[in-house]
Amino acid sequence: MSEGYARENELVSEESNYYDRALDTSVALSVVGFLLGLVTLVDAVGLATSGAALNSLFLTLLVLGVGGVATVGLFSALGVVPMTSQRVRGVGVGLLVGLILLAVVSAPMGTGLNLATLLGLLLVGQGLVIGAAGVVSRLGVVRNEPASSAGLLAGGAFGVVGLLIGGALAATLFGGTLTWVVALAAGVGLFVLTVFPREDVSSTAPAALLLVTLGTTVATAVVGVGWEWDPQTLQGGFTGGVVVPLFTLFGSMVSGWAAAKSRAGFGARGRQYGAFLLINLNALLMVAAMVSIVFFVASQGVTYAFHGFRIGALTALVLLSPLLVGTLSWARSPAGTDEWHSAARQLFRVLPLAALGALAAGLLSVVVTGDAIEIPFVYDVLQNRELVPTDTTVRVTPELTVGTLLVVVPGTVVFAYFLRKYGSLSGVGSELPNQRTLQRALGLAMGSTVLLTLALAVLGETPFGLPVAGTLGLAAVYAGTLAAATLAVAALLGLFVGEGSPAERAHERAQAVKVGLFGALGLLAAVVFLQPAAGMNPSVGPANLVPAVGVLAAVAALAVALVTALARRSVAPDEPADRLRRRVVGEETTLGLAAAAGFLTIAALHVAVTGADFTLLGVTIGYTGTLSWPMVMSPYIPLGPEPGGILPAVVGTVWLVVGASLFAVPLGVGAAVFLTEYAEQGKFTALVEVATNALWSTPSVVFGLFGAAFLIPRLGESEGLLIGMLVLGFMLLPLVLITSREAVKAVPDEYRDASAALGVNQWQTIRSVVLPAALPGVITGVILGVGRIAGETAPLILVLGSTLNETEAIDVFGSFQFTAQPPFVYNGALLEATAALPTQVWAVITAGVSGSPSMGWASAFVLLTVVLGFYAIGILTRTYFRRKLDHE
Amino acid sequence: MADGLTGRIREGIVGRIQALVAFVTALPGRVVGFLASLPGRVWRFLVRLPGEVRHALVVLKRALVGAEPTPGDIALGAASSVTLLLTLVTFLGPNDLVAYPLGGFLLTMVVGWRAKQARTAKIITFVATVGTVVTVGFITYYLFSSAWPAVEKWGSGLAAVPTGGSGEVRWFFWLEGVLPQVGLPSGWNPAGGTYSLLPTIWATVVVTAVALLVAGPLGIFGALFIAEVASDRVREVVKPAVEVLAGIPSIVYGFLGFSVLNSFVQTSFLDQQASFLIAGTVVGVMALPTVVSVGEDALSSVPRAMNDGAIAMGATEWQTMKSISIPAALSGLSAAIILGLGRAVGETMAVAAIMAAGQGIPEPLYDIFGQSATLTSRIATSYGDATDNTLEVLFLAGVILFVIVALMSVLAQYIENRMQRNLQGER
Repeated sequence: MSEGYARENELVSEESNYYDRALDTSVALSVVGFLLGLVTLVDAVGLATSGAALNSLFLTLLVLGVGGVATVGLFSALGVVPMTSQRVRGVGVGLLVGLILLAVVSAPMGTGLNLATLLGLLLVGQGLVIGAAGVVSRLGVVRNEPASSAGLLAGGAFGVVGLLIGGALAATLFGGTLTWVVALAAGVGLFVLTVFPREDVSSTAPAALLLVTLGTTVATAVVGVGWEWDPQTLQGGFTGGVVVPLFTLFGSMVSGWAAAKSRAGFGARGRQYGAFLLINLNALLMVAAMVSIVFFVASQGVTYAFHGFRIGALTALVLLSPLLVGTLSWARSPAGTDEWHSAARQLFRVLPLAALGALAAGLLSVVVTGDAIEIPFVYDVLQNRELVPTDTTVRVTPELTVGTLLVVVPGTVVFAYFLRKYGSLSGVGSELPNQRTLQRALGLAMGSTVLLTLALAVLGETPFGLPVAGTLGLAAVYAGTLAAATLAVAALLGLFVGEGSPAERAHERAQAVKVGLFGALGLLAAVVFLQPAAGMNPSVGPANLVPAVGVLAAVAALAVALVTALARRSVAPDEPADRLRRRVVGEETTLGLAAAAGFLTIAALHVAVTGADFTLLGVTIGYTGTLSWPMVMSPYIPLGPEPGGILPAVVGTVWLVVGASLFAVPLGVGAAVFLTEYAEQGKFTALVEVATNALWSTPSVVFGLFGAAFLIPRLGESEGLLIGMLVLGFMLLPLVLITSREAVKAVPDEYRDASAALGVNQWQTIRSVVLPAALPGVITGVILGVGRIAGETAPLILVLGSTLNETEAIDVFGSFQFTAQPPFVYNGALLEATAALPTQVWAVITAGVSGSPSMGWASAFVLLTVVLGFYAIGILTRTYFRRKLDHE
Repeated sequence: MADGLTGRIREGIVGRIQALVAFVTALPGRVVGFLASLPGRVWRFLVRLPGEVRHALVVLKRALVGAEPTPGDIALGAASSVTLLLTLVTFLGPNDLVAYPLGGFLLTMVVGWRAKQARTAKIITFVATVGTVVTVGFITYYLFSSAWPAVEKWGSGLAAVPTGGSGEVRWFFWLEGVLPQVGLPSGWNPAGGTYSLLPTIWATVVVTAVALLVAGPLGIFGALFIAEVASDRVREVVKPAVEVLAGIPSIVYGFLGFSVLNSFVQTSFLDQQASFLIAGTVVGVMALPTVVSVGEDALSSVPRAMNDGAIAMGATEWQTMKSISIPAALSGLSAAIILGLGRAVGETMAVAAIMAAGQGIPEPLYDIFGQSATLTSRIATSYGDATDNTLEVLFLAGVILFVIVALMSVLAQYIENRMQRNLQGER
């Protein structure tokens, strides 16, 4: 153990061993004291805690400390996380010693020992240790490298502190003019003590004095639990509940600083250790503040937000599917030597997949056994101005129905993901007979179907009295679906025709797979939208034709993926020719998976456009699904047994964000391109910069005033959605402009030069070189900006006109009207007042006793989730693109 | 040893005092010098004006039709600028006609895109740029023009010093000798035609001061942590965390303050009401991310070579930080604090939610346990049921906010630019 306490270069004496141990313990206890100060300040633990409760508190702390230190120690001993720093080891051991000490002291030995007294004792003890350290160092018992003074900065700080504390003490003890004399004396005294003696004394003596003074006042209950100071001149005062934690926080910072400085032997190194300890404590404070704010809002709002939540297990599985695909690709990324370090990383890559897999298995078991999972809990509902606890449950039901939207959205995501991964199969394998003609015919068929759909939609089902829909439409639907089915099945069968190994056949028939799957997708997608326009829905037997073909084609596509994946396994990865084959067959697998997701999405789209449910083998894709989330999916229900939710606010926020982005993103990106690519740096760009900065810094409420003064008189004479959109758009504009400009600027000039050298003109260069390269930065900026305006409240309360407890969500899609007079297109919904998430929270505050606090918390929780979701996505995209850029 | 030490300390203190005295004594001279040079500056500006205008026209021409326009370019540029101007005019005036010129502009753009894509793209980006400037112009103009009637109507009454209940004049930095007095502690009574903004301005000052005490030290320390102390991996976690802290909507802070902190104040601070202390602390936490991220930028922009030089001389990291990074980035750090203050001044919802019932002026002025509406929360809370007279005064409050915050932003920008120039000069 002795080498553990050696200095960098020399073995040191027994005394300095004790010296270091004591100071390490002091540093560790300072951190503990800092945390205790925080915890008591927010009243998570009462200062009056005493007896068995106090003892159990410190035993808990001890257990946590032992657990933490032991885990790190274990891994350090195994060589996974080598802890080479003597100081870190020392602080770990010191933490254990300190916590054991605290637990022993807090054991109910006597009466009247509460947490406040204990904190006071802690400060006094720290003061004594630090004072002793200073004396030992000054006497030369341990070898340190003190400078001649602790410096003016520390002196000034201690002087100010002395002034304040001396003044406060004197004011409570004597009062009158004597206060000022004592305060001044204390301030000057501490300043002199810190500046003039040698550094080891001047850093420890004032700190020790201060700590003993603070500690004594707290320990002797001069400033204790029941203490109050209520100056008559002010409207408020101070209580022990605030002052004792503040003393503890401050004292811990001082003791940590002094102990760390002494531990590192004063001098330049000591100052560094002391300063870094304070900076780290400050960072800890900030992160703790952020985490506790988010967790607090979540804990307050989560019960109300999830009241009556119900979801079918199958629906949940479908919703999980994109995440499963995502975690799968995350886990596929290469990792793996047998070192500990990379093993941990590999685990980290696989862990999300394992967790999701477990969740999916649990959901499947619900489907198989038919037993619902129910989690009952209680939440508060406001009735007659009183909060009434109400029972509710979160349920996962074994229903086999999935809502159409909940298939379409994840299906599209998965489809897009695989399509992006899919590269190209052009020119691979042998061409089909008449492939050109076939492709042209397929394109023609899709085009004419779309035209027919448009014609029927505009002219009605029987234009000019001709039963076009009945004959032509029906024929088109039948022909299209049959052709699609044939193509999909042909793509599959092609893999089995011909000679050679499965992989060779798959390579040879690549064109069949490509044309078959893409053709079937296109035809089926065109036919789906023809159906509602033609007003019919043909069936085969008990099932509708289109979704039946969709499912059949999905099965065929999955089979293609399976067969090619199996074929790919049999190809040796080493031969150059085989490597190409592996690649090609792999592409076919990806295409098969993409097509399967696409076909299922089309089947669900069929349900959405025709409104007829589709059932196969007990599984139903339903027009109405099995997800019920009252908080987000239903409006306020007056006088109901359950209060409903805030659907109007959710819809309002969605439209506000969409409108603001439509306004601000083109304008901002356009201006950024002009400023960086076209404009010469000069007065004009300077003017634009000033204008952008002015927009950026303008307080949000001023935008609201502007909207009220300028936009309301010109757009409908009343508060409404459109004005909210524009006002938020004005706020989003500088955010988008600044980030886009940075992104466009960051594109290296080599790109532009290379493009220009090829004879490409300026605009073509911007369009095909600069903008794609800048796109990641622009997207990140837009996402972060949108996150910011989504939570903006102040301008909206001036221009949106929202009220508490709206019962109807705004319907923008359904309100378009075409008129003969200007402005030709008219949308009444845009001019109506609506709610938004932030104004919903504000409405609860202004409603006073008739605003339900539980609903306010839940709305704040939903708002926070939305905004932080935008931020998380924005930050993740940025990190992703940065990593990618670094790899390149 | 002691000799050298006291000598150094004396030198340090004396040097700093001398610098301060020199700065203060030079100040009147500088102001006079600036005023004296003003006519010359104006004259030079006037002389240069025609040239500037001609230059601006050239820029405009180049943006709209290009340096050597073909007839098609001219047609496109003329059509787009005429339709756009008409759109603007009709939007400001008879705005039911706005659809015609707007449609014309869109049509021009569609035709242009088919025929001359490069030209049209340039015009579109130019229009977007001008649109941004015009937006700022509109905001400024409409704020000022909506606020002007209030100044005309109420004049100096808008800054009346409120007197106490018994009629004694309140001390207000000797301004009470100049300004009119009004017999209302709040200075705000729309029904009686009393609209003093002085209490709200003072409340803004107090809240901002408390916020500064919270955000200043914590923010600078946080910036130091991220820029200099943290390892790369820790930085990758803490930096986004600070960004997320900036993302928490102000209304969420407000709701927290409204439902939790206010009762905390009543038990822990013996205060029967909401207070500047709590509002200021919350606003300080909200301004913190701004200070941290701008400060961090400033610290990171100190050239690596300067730090490396210090390390190579054998200095510790803290010594490098203290004597190289912080002094070099000092102006950037002060810009960070100024920007943070700008955020604090403009913060609305947290203050409005916490001090919703705020009226009056604290007694005594430094009573941080008092409560009163700030400029922003006055606008937010009084707007709903405001009469025309009140509205005009609220617009004036908006103008004051706009000007203060814009000045702060310009100042911060100036300081930052100067720092960048200095650092580049040293590079």
